[in-house]
Amino acid sequence: MRSPDTPAMAMRAPLPPLLAKELREILSGRALWITSLLLCPLVGYSFFQAVSLYGDASASAVESAVLARSLSPLDGILVPSFGAFYVGVTLLFPFVAIRVLGQEKEAGALRLLVQLPYSTPVLIGAKLAAVLSAWLLCSIPALSTLVIWRLLGGHIAPAETANLLLGHLLYGLLVGAIALFAASVADSAATAAIIALAFTIGSWVLDFTLAGRPGMLAWISRLSLTQTLQPFEQGLLSAGLVLGIAAAILGFAALAAVWLPPGATLRVKLLRSLACVAAAAIVLAASSQMHLAADLTADQRNSFPPADQRALATLDRPLIVTIHLGPEDPRYVDLQRAVFSKLARVLPDLTIRLAGAHSFASSAGDENYGEIEYVYAGRRDMSRSTSPREILPLLYGLAEMPPPVPAAADDYPGYPLVANAHAALPWFFGGLPALIGLAWFCSRRPPRVDPIRIGQTASGGPS
Amino acid sequence: MDVSKPPLFAIDQSASPDAGGCARAPIDTQGSADSLLRVSGLSKRYGARVALADVAFDAKAGELIGLIGPNGAGKTTLLEAVAGLLPVHAGELTWNGVAMPPARRREAMFYLPDGIKPYQDQPVARVLSFFAGVYRRPDAAVADTVASLGLAPVLRERVHALSKGFNRRLLLALALVAPHPLLLMDEPFDGFDLRQVRAIARVLRREAARGRTLVLAIHQLMDAEKVCDRFILLSDGRVHGTGTLGQLRARTGLPAASLEEIFLALT
Repeated sequence: MRSPDTPAMAMRAPLPPLLAKELREILSGRALWITSLLLCPLVGYSFFQAVSLYGDASASAVESAVLARSLSPLDGILVPSFGAFYVGVTLLFPFVAIRVLGQEKEAGALRLLVQLPYSTPVLIGAKLAAVLSAWLLCSIPALSTLVIWRLLGGHIAPAETANLLLGHLLYGLLVGAIALFAASVADSAATAAIIALAFTIGSWVLDFTLAGRPGMLAWISRLSLTQTLQPFEQGLLSAGLVLGIAAAILGFAALAAVWLPPGATLRVKLLRSLACVAAAAIVLAASSQMHLAADLTADQRNSFPPADQRALATLDRPLIVTIHLGPEDPRYVDLQRAVFSKLARVLPDLTIRLAGAHSFASSAGDENYGEIEYVYAGRRDMSRSTSPREILPLLYGLAEMPPPVPAAADDYPGYPLVANAHAALPWFFGGLPALIGLAWFCSRRPPRVDPIRIGQTASGGPS
Repeated sequence: MDVSKPPLFAIDQSASPDAGGCARAPIDTQGSADSLLRVSGLSKRYGARVALADVAFDAKAGELIGLIGPNGAGKTTLLEAVAGLLPVHAGELTWNGVAMPPARRREAMFYLPDGIKPYQDQPVARVLSFFAGVYRRPDAAVADTVASLGLAPVLRERVHALSKGFNRRLLLALALVAPHPLLLMDEPFDGFDLRQVRAIARVLRREAARGRTLVLAIHQLMDAEKVCDRFILLSDGRVHGTGTLGQLRARTGLPAASLEEIFLALT
């Protein structure tokens, strides 16, 4: 078909006006500012409590190197403080993100938006950029805890802190993408909010009801949004997880783009949605098979001691582990956390099998229950231990290699700090809210320059 | 704004020899090969209810066409279907003789909906600046539009604070800032008094004289009669007649009839 003789247009419209408009739209909404204001005391009080508890624990640890080693600012300060931010993002941020599209739909401006010379993915991309900007503004209270912690003399490990921030950023964008999708599908902002909260609060329900359950329920529980943040809070940077979250963000954004144009039929939208879901599912499945992960914690808690890491990395034959435990058994959870999650990242070929249909509840009378069988290079051994102190020597024995000599310099010193954050309370309950309120006020002021420029030759008009 | 950049749309200024006057484009109610836009067999249903039934019409460059009909006649549905904002069950649209799919129609035409209040928290000036920036329109063009529509007093006002009349002027300004050769406007005179209708009509005629084609959905027949070159009479989703006032009078055999009388006779 010959191209219609339309004026030379294509999709060459400049991006800055669109980005500026989206930014102005989200900044002019009350939801963003109210969310930011609410986060100030929420994050501030969490930080205050975290510092108090950390200070109490540090008081007894300053004299004991062993106790001091257990004091990590990541666990004691950063995760609790950003945990409050997480709650705010989960419950409040959807309302902020919905606005970037929901208000245009309710005001009828969507029919103007979709006529602009931008492709739908560009429109959604600009809105996602606005959501990112809003998240950055909302994160100011949480980010200020880092500054205050440093001012109090606290230690911040750059790698684990950056990893935690990355996790929260990805989580915020995921919530924002879900909210965009909800706003795109729903006719009103209220309906969109219900859809978005169904995802976020539904994740909590999944966590509470299905976590630790076996089989399919365990798989379903992994769909919870909160699961995406946990590895970052534990200091792990997993390539598969980052790819998976990125796929989910792009998937929801793509779905929002599919449902945005009013000119497409429902059938076309459904078919395109199926294609998006299928593509996202393929990437998610591929990402779940990626085991590349880095332990970014200062205390290397997700890894064995460095000497063991180096020794285990030389085991180039397949290791097959058969576990006679029910998946809900606390010993199985211990094994996963303390041994197998670490082994999976260091061993090139590890296979873990749950033998038969063992159940923790019906384990009485089952003689094999609790046994863990290890097979390496044709040699096998059995253990009931869940401690790496017993399992690692067993593995070295199977590999016929001597256990490595631990290096004293590998020990994590810990960072105890006896401090309190009373001085920070005025900032979170007064100074920062006042600054945010001032910024809100400034954003509401009418422009000074534009009318003069636009109206410089304007006079008169229809009478 | 960078005025050196050319507009995305090259509006043919030569279509009218008198840019400031009220020159009318040639009229051909049956359509012809020089039609800019031709719509045929357009049908749309909502369940069992027929919203549009085999609608056909055409438009030439520089024409000012009135889409006439009572509330519920299907005017908005027709405009949205033509603009590609509403899926249809049947029908074809050609632009300069070539089929144009819905996804590409925004390249040629701009649809101004009725009853919207876009970007309510933004000042009028910013909304205009946004459209001007998107379409790379020079400041002078925007200022001209602001002046012609009398928007200068409310440039600093936020959209949600505008009266119905000024909100309508803002919408018209957005449509005029958009450089598309075809403008589809839904109830452009709604909210205006008699004098204002005349003034807005002059602005729209000037646009038509510059070569732009305007299709205006109007339910006030007196307004339409004063403004439009040609009419499409729509009722119950069906076209009951098209043509100039004179042609419609001839068809109905009512040589002195008003558009209202003709509409009643044909529908």
